[in-house]
Amino acid sequence: MAAEVDILAQHLDVPVGSTYPIHFHGRGGSLFGIQIVNLFLGLITLGVYSFWGRVKVRSYMASQTEFSGDRFAYHGTGRELFIGWLKALLLFGIPLFVLVILQIIVGMESELFNLLQILIYIVVGFFIPVAMVNARRYRLSRMSWRGIRFSFRGGVREFIAIYLKGWLLTAVSLGFYYPFWQNRRQMFMISDSHFGNQKFAFDGRGRDLFLSFVLHVLLSLPTFFLCWIWYWARVQRYYAEHTSFQAARFRSTVSGGGVFALWFGNAVLFLLTLGLGWSWITVRNMRYYTSCLSMVGALDVAGVMQEVQPATATGEGLSGFLDLDFDLG
Amino acid sequence: MQLQWFGYYLDGQSANRRNARIYLEAGDLRIDLADGAIISWPYGEIRQTQGAYAGEQVRLEHGSEPAEVLVIDDERFLASFHEILPSRAAGFHNPAKRRQRFQLTIVAGGASIALLLAAYFWGIPTLATIAAPWVPVSWEEKLGESVVEQVAPAEQRCSDPQRLAQIEGLVKSMLATQGETKYQFKIHVVNQPMFNALAAPGGHIVIFRGLLDRTENAEELAGVLAHELQHILKRHVTRSLLEYASTSFLVAAVIGDVSGLVSFGVEAAQMLAQMRFSRQHESEADAAGLKMLLAAKIDPAGMIAFFETVRKEEGHLPTALSYVSSHPQTELRIARLKSLIAASTADSQKLLPDYSWEDIKKICPVLAKPAKE
Repeated sequence: MAAEVDILAQHLDVPVGSTYPIHFHGRGGSLFGIQIVNLFLGLITLGVYSFWGRVKVRSYMASQTEFSGDRFAYHGTGRELFIGWLKALLLFGIPLFVLVILQIIVGMESELFNLLQILIYIVVGFFIPVAMVNARRYRLSRMSWRGIRFSFRGGVREFIAIYLKGWLLTAVSLGFYYPFWQNRRQMFMISDSHFGNQKFAFDGRGRDLFLSFVLHVLLSLPTFFLCWIWYWARVQRYYAEHTSFQAARFRSTVSGGGVFALWFGNAVLFLLTLGLGWSWITVRNMRYYTSCLSMVGALDVAGVMQEVQPATATGEGLSGFLDLDFDLG
Repeated sequence: MQLQWFGYYLDGQSANRRNARIYLEAGDLRIDLADGAIISWPYGEIRQTQGAYAGEQVRLEHGSEPAEVLVIDDERFLASFHEILPSRAAGFHNPAKRRQRFQLTIVAGGASIALLLAAYFWGIPTLATIAAPWVPVSWEEKLGESVVEQVAPAEQRCSDPQRLAQIEGLVKSMLATQGETKYQFKIHVVNQPMFNALAAPGGHIVIFRGLLDRTENAEELAGVLAHELQHILKRHVTRSLLEYASTSFLVAAVIGDVSGLVSFGVEAAQMLAQMRFSRQHESEADAAGLKMLLAAKIDPAGMIAFFETVRKEEGHLPTALSYVSSHPQTELRIARLKSLIAASTADSQKLLPDYSWEDIKKICPVLAKPAKE
């Protein structure tokens, strides 16, 4: 019994300032096997199986990802994904389809054509933020670590407001508002995320990235837009450093050069295997990003308690109406 | 034989993990926790959610969500389980069967390739052929009109009625061999130097001045017209649209998570498929067009001569490119036509014997001399 107590102690008495690494153990060959079977079943069921297949892939990816000695687990089901897809189809797909058909019927010369185009923009404009919030809520609620579920509790209405306002300001400011908008969205997505009964926090500020953004706009043409890889890496590092849980912060060492090498390697692999190497590309990406990511500080995970959120929200009123709990990704 | 296993237990209420000793007992799975508590799970109530792949921990869950969890690092646990309690372990992953699973995966991969090839070579074209007759002609006509408005604007059309009537006469004599058709055919000659002709759905044939200039006689134009007429009669545009839609559907069925690089691959595959279907349509229009010429007693040498002109204009294309083109190689087309002609015994009569072809070619007003771009 003594030996076991020692093992336990290793996990409880973590000194302040520790580093908690993230490892990905997945292998391209195993993932390829899963995806080949998914392909076959997807073909013979005319695509219906793809929802169940997606669950297999996500379960594998989660179970191969280790944080501080414990693996993640994915709890979604194919049935949930299928129903979510049907809901999205009913509420957005069909109206969009009807609008496009009406456009074809009235023809381009008709004055109604432009009105229909505006309606299409409105439907799509609502769909994107609604889909983003619902996907995040669904995915986090189906993820667990040490048996404790994650959750996302942000409201759809709030995000629609953030999204559409940011989009408008970005357009009016000729793009210069973009880093502020991006930061605002990240803040919404992170600060309403929970692990069990405890919250994640985000303290990033758009202005910290503004100068870098302007610099990359200026560098776009001379670097054939490649500089945006470096900007993207910079944003990833910044967001990680400004995301915390309890007394620990994330830290990312993602670099422009690293991402460039990764993507270049992926492109070569993709072309040489005529796309069949996709599973290995997925694993390469996951391995790179997780190996760059860690948490630094003090965590007391043993104190985190389960706090189960309602699985599906199909309440009344508009906000309940938009809480679809679907995931298309 | 190992009877005791180490793992850890999560109660589903807190993130605190507790070390556990696990015993495979005859009735239940017994879990002894480090703090002295003893838990029993009946085998029938245990769900295995992880541990089916090499390097994966074995994860067992019990009870309704949020479930209790037992995680065992040592993969050999499953092998022992199957060995000691084969009937209880029936619902759990058996690592001994991984080899069999690997073989099934290979079979599934082979079957997928076979299914995709069957859909590509046979399924999609067949589906389009079956579905095309259900598309109303009025819909094709509407589509065709909008195409013609785009490529042949009214102010660029050459509408000299007498000369146009001669060209229309060629079409009529060929159509006479085809029995009843649902289409009202209309010829549009466009005053542009392009060396091209096209068929828009619903019965419209557009000929550009550049093409007319390069024909030596009525038989050559009749060859072009025969090919374009067959595109319309065989409803190739409608079939292309159906083929495109069903390829998109197939691709959507195959791929669950489409993102980034994959979507480029999918685009490329779809384009390749589309080009293949297009080449099939071209070959079909060639063969059926030639048959129509023979039936109408028009000398097929004109069609061949026209393709010879095309070949001279386009120069030589590398063979490899013939797989990424919307048209078959011209040399191949000529060879196929020649073999079809050799098999026939039809005689022919000279077309428009009382007219000068050079005069008919003057249908477009600004035509001073044959343009050579």
